[in-house]
Amino acid sequence: MTNDLIYNDLRLMTNINGMNIIEIRNLTKVYDAKTIPVYALNGVDLAFREGEFTCIVGPSGSGKTTMLNLVGGLDSPTGGEIVIDNTDITGLKSRMLIDFRLRNIGFVFQSFNLIPVLTAKENVEFIMQLQGVNKEQRDKRTLELLDSVGLSDKINVRPNKLSGGQQQRVAVARALASKPKFILADEPTANLDSKSAENLLEIMEILNREENITFIFSTHDPRVVAKARRVITLEDGKIVGDISKN
Amino acid sequence: MIFKIAFKNVWRNKVRSMIVIISVTLGLTGGIFAVSIITGMMEQKVRMDINNETSHIQIHHPQFLKNFESQYSIPDADSIAGMISKWSDVKAVCTRIRITGMAASPNSVAGVQIMGVDPLQEKKVSDLYATIPDTGGGYFTGTRKNQIVIGRKLADKLKVRLKSKIVIRFQNTDGNLAEAAFSVNGIFRTANTVFDETNVFIKKSDLNPLMEGENESQEIAVILKDIDKIPVAETLLKSRLPGLDIRNWIELRPEMGLITSAIAIEVYIILGIILFALAFGIVNTMMMIVFERTRELGMLMAVGMSKSRVFRMIMLETVFLTLIGGIIGMILGAALTGFFHRTGIDLSSLSKGLGAYGFDAKIYPFISRELYINLTVMIFCTGILSAIMPARKALKLKPVEAIRIE
Repeated sequence: MTNDLIYNDLRLMTNINGMNIIEIRNLTKVYDAKTIPVYALNGVDLAFREGEFTCIVGPSGSGKTTMLNLVGGLDSPTGGEIVIDNTDITGLKSRMLIDFRLRNIGFVFQSFNLIPVLTAKENVEFIMQLQGVNKEQRDKRTLELLDSVGLSDKINVRPNKLSGGQQQRVAVARALASKPKFILADEPTANLDSKSAENLLEIMEILNREENITFIFSTHDPRVVAKARRVITLEDGKIVGDISKN
Repeated sequence: MIFKIAFKNVWRNKVRSMIVIISVTLGLTGGIFAVSIITGMMEQKVRMDINNETSHIQIHHPQFLKNFESQYSIPDADSIAGMISKWSDVKAVCTRIRITGMAASPNSVAGVQIMGVDPLQEKKVSDLYATIPDTGGGYFTGTRKNQIVIGRKLADKLKVRLKSKIVIRFQNTDGNLAEAAFSVNGIFRTANTVFDETNVFIKKSDLNPLMEGENESQEIAVILKDIDKIPVAETLLKSRLPGLDIRNWIELRPEMGLITSAIAIEVYIILGIILFALAFGIVNTMMMIVFERTRELGMLMAVGMSKSRVFRMIMLETVFLTLIGGIIGMILGAALTGFFHRTGIDLSSLSKGLGAYGFDAKIYPFISRELYINLTVMIFCTGILSAIMPARKALKLKPVEAIRIE
């Protein structure tokens, strides 16, 4: 299946099932463009709809992380467009992009990346504070989120006193705190034992199913692939597979 | 929250933070104490000069200070002094005869400045009487005529003791040579050995008959309730007494004014150098912190923390680190200064050298409130300036690269 076909197919699905929240057009990322060009992404067309539970798979160097970084506005492409909620983020200036990320995108990192000096509650609350949410709303939402990831008894615990799985659940709650349009999770289970990974996936699946939160993962983990309802396969910077499960 | 994170971050690596805090604390404690010794010495010197010699303001005939000739006396000096003493800002006023002459003993002769004073008036203006030690006699005690109070250095030079006779010679207002013998009633000892060697005090009532003038005074000395009122009082005096020469203590002792101003600048230079040196340590620590926390800073920027907030966070951390050490240093410096201000620092071994320059051998360290306020601002500015380089380094991080650094 060519990229154009996938894109047309997704556009058709959009018409049937609602708005695309992310549209990627002819996305290219070339490293060392001046010397020996390496195509991390090579003319990728793709779309994601609200409520998807998608994982991007592929061998190392296939462009998974690059794709997530570009969609998350952390890196700029060499060519192409990334339209999120009618905004082409490739044209945004640095300051606007930071604000865009704050209000539209949630991130879950492989190595948790919580702020070590803050408690679980404060880590989650922090994002809302950056958004300017008032204290009453912050407190309410923080407790709801930590409850939804099963950590209501750990609200005042610092990250170094939490297990890896618990830290990653706090990271998921933090990613959700800003009420983002979607969550990008870069190999979220890579540093977790199997039980913690299962537990985390279950929580994310419930959040996706019950609250229609869009998750996009990059992963090598077959357990994540098994849970995903759409699996996009990248190889050498191109989409070589895009399978949606019922 | 930025404030909270920044403050908590200071204590993430307690050992490292404590090293910075201790270095700032010690640097400032030492700096403040050194400065307090210098300012204390100067403060004592100025106070001593004012109390023993110049007063706050002196009034003379316009020609008098050129050659110190006794003919240039102040007309109606007692009435003027009476008028000035009624002003609310004035603490005390006295009139003086001031002439140059010779003091001779059977053993030696010395050139001296002869001050004719009213002891009761003089005691209100000058603290000289308080510098007479218990073994040094008194300050015009008893009713005997022709008493003289001299300095220890002059007494040594003339080889005289209490009750010894000294002959004073001078040119009176008529230009004739006048002389009389005086009995040493008191021997004062100020910190200024030059002053002690060159000044003798005689009662006006004993000196007046020799002057052959009519109760004349060459000098009116004014002490104010508040030294800061000098400009106001000086302006008022100049407007009321346009025909007279009115000078404040700095104009009378320009070298003291110069030294005082120079010391005031030097104090800031000393503290500035200390803070500048400390700033390097702080910058180094903060740069290490930024390198160590690269991934965390990348994450913060990735999730939407603006560059200005990242900048502010690093800035706050640096300011906290500096201020904690700075405040402790200021408190310790103040405590040390306060302690030695009460007990004094005895530098008797250096008294000869210090005395030659008019400094007391016992130093009472002192720091003004103004200096403390300025120092707080300087410490705060050091914190901010030290933060600029690490904060800029943090801003240059690219989140996409920073979050991948292990």
